[in-house]
Amino acid sequence: MTDAATTAVTGSRPDVAPRQRRHNVALWVSLVWLVLVIASAVLAPWLGFIDDPHKPLSGPPEEGPSWSNWFGTDQLGRDMFARSVWGGRLSLSIAGPAVGIGIVVGGLLGVVAGYFGRWVDLGVSSLVNVALALPALVFALFIVTMLGQSYLNVTIAVTILTIPAIARIARAQALRFAAREFVTVADMMGARWPRLLFREVMPNVVPALASIAFLAMGIVIIAEGSLSFIGVSVGSPSITWGNILSSGKGRLEDAPHIALITGGVMFCTLMALNFVGDEMLRRLDVREARI
Amino acid sequence: MLRFFGTRLAQLALVVLAVTLLFYWMLNLLPGNPCVAAFGGAATEEQIAECERDRNLDDPVIVQWAKWGGDVLTGDFGKSYLTGRSFGEALNTALPRTLLLLAYSQVLALGAAIPLGLWTGYKQNSVGDKIASGGAFALLSVPVFVLGLVLILVFAVRLDWFDLSGYQPISEGLGAHFRVMFLPSITLAAGLLPIYLRLLRTDVIGTLQEDFVGTARAKGLPVRHVLIRHVLRPSSFTLLTIFGIQAAQAVNGAIVVEFLFDLDGVGSLLVSWVAAREFLLVQTLVALIAAVFVTVTTMVDLLYSVLDPRIRRK
Repeated sequence: MTDAATTAVTGSRPDVAPRQRRHNVALWVSLVWLVLVIASAVLAPWLGFIDDPHKPLSGPPEEGPSWSNWFGTDQLGRDMFARSVWGGRLSLSIAGPAVGIGIVVGGLLGVVAGYFGRWVDLGVSSLVNVALALPALVFALFIVTMLGQSYLNVTIAVTILTIPAIARIARAQALRFAAREFVTVADMMGARWPRLLFREVMPNVVPALASIAFLAMGIVIIAEGSLSFIGVSVGSPSITWGNILSSGKGRLEDAPHIALITGGVMFCTLMALNFVGDEMLRRLDVREARI
Repeated sequence: MLRFFGTRLAQLALVVLAVTLLFYWMLNLLPGNPCVAAFGGAATEEQIAECERDRNLDDPVIVQWAKWGGDVLTGDFGKSYLTGRSFGEALNTALPRTLLLLAYSQVLALGAAIPLGLWTGYKQNSVGDKIASGGAFALLSVPVFVLGLVLILVFAVRLDWFDLSGYQPISEGLGAHFRVMFLPSITLAAGLLPIYLRLLRTDVIGTLQEDFVGTARAKGLPVRHVLIRHVLRPSSFTLLTIFGIQAAQAVNGAIVVEFLFDLDGVGSLLVSWVAAREFLLVQTLVALIAAVFVTVTTMVDLLYSVLDPRIRRK
């Protein structure tokens, strides 16, 4: 869905100003980076050049980048390139479903609230406002502590965080479009509410949600990273970007490449997500939709 | 006015009650008896019975919660059954550190964002504006812990300008205090700066279109005077709102920063209790943080309406 939407907006235009062209280049760089990260994360077990991330002594311990270990090695001589890829695999496999569910549930809640108004809106809006008023990380930390540290529970915790923010944006968009002429006309022509909601209002909210998906993805990756950095995410044999950084923290003196390279990969990914999201919002002319 | 304040305060009370009840209830998601868990699995019958009495475990959840709320309001926050250390004692050492960290980072972030925002808004699309705006965008994509690690590597490990030896109170001398607090404050401020900057810049660009700015310039007032006295003022409302939200949201960053810099503040307390499986303490602390958080946000809202009478009439 998002890929189709992206190609739709970036499709070639004959008269692009220099500024536009610069943005296009940055957009393509971002998209290529995201495709690389996602492809390597998804295909990690089947790609020959990615080592087993748990295998000790793939090279001498704590060595910087070299030809055989592109990103260097960690304390036990495990290949850092493989660990970065597998860390990304876990982070993305949490962020992907979390944002997917967040968009569907938050989007529906928001559109329904914005379209029907009155007590439905009042109920949804007050819930959303209370949820947004809570400190996100504290809330996630609490949920994971109470439910236990597992893949499923971390995903549940970060999903709950995405829903209210997305619902608020979807509501604002639905509110804007529900008042437009084409909806009134369809209403006067005798269309029932499911048609009005799903065929008239919803398609106009989808572009905003597609752009928001990129921004939300970045936020979820940071949230999961923070949780695993402080040791409250998926348990220890699993590799996440957050826990690689956490272990690199103690080795800054002797092996700074562990933290620096993983941090760099994370930064590039987040930057690419934010850039693509922002560009889509701008090009689709979506207002009031920052998270 | 009074009626407006009354409704807002009543709403606040309701939200605080709902939020604490939610967190209180969520403790019941834990399998088994929280009192058995509180002793780390090695407790005598009497100890468990004492804890169960303290926490009123025989009552329904809502009654437990009400009694817990009463205890908290009278200053009895409970204690760790593992170490015997009281909650209040732990909070007493941790809270000032966290508050100082939050205060320093806000001062740094606002101190940098206000002049930068005015200037980039005034010099819209100049090279300097593009660099500052691009930098702000990049900064938004750096997770707190990555930035903190880089700053530690450069300024503490390589250059050895700052200490990482844990918290030093102001009584140990301002020099020692800031050698410890500077890097964490910068790390936290760096997350806030781009948010303030982007907002202020957009606001300034809008305000500069207003007639009164043209009048002020036509009168011959210097640019600096117009920017500070005429342009910044209308933006202060937006700045105040976002400040309220960010002051509360900064707690998230503070948890990570305190953990990273070994500051032993409220965030570190929370993380260490989570690690030690002190569920009863975690629950009380989380409920308190949430209550404070919601209160701060509402107070800023109220302040906003005092400053801008138009809000009240809506």
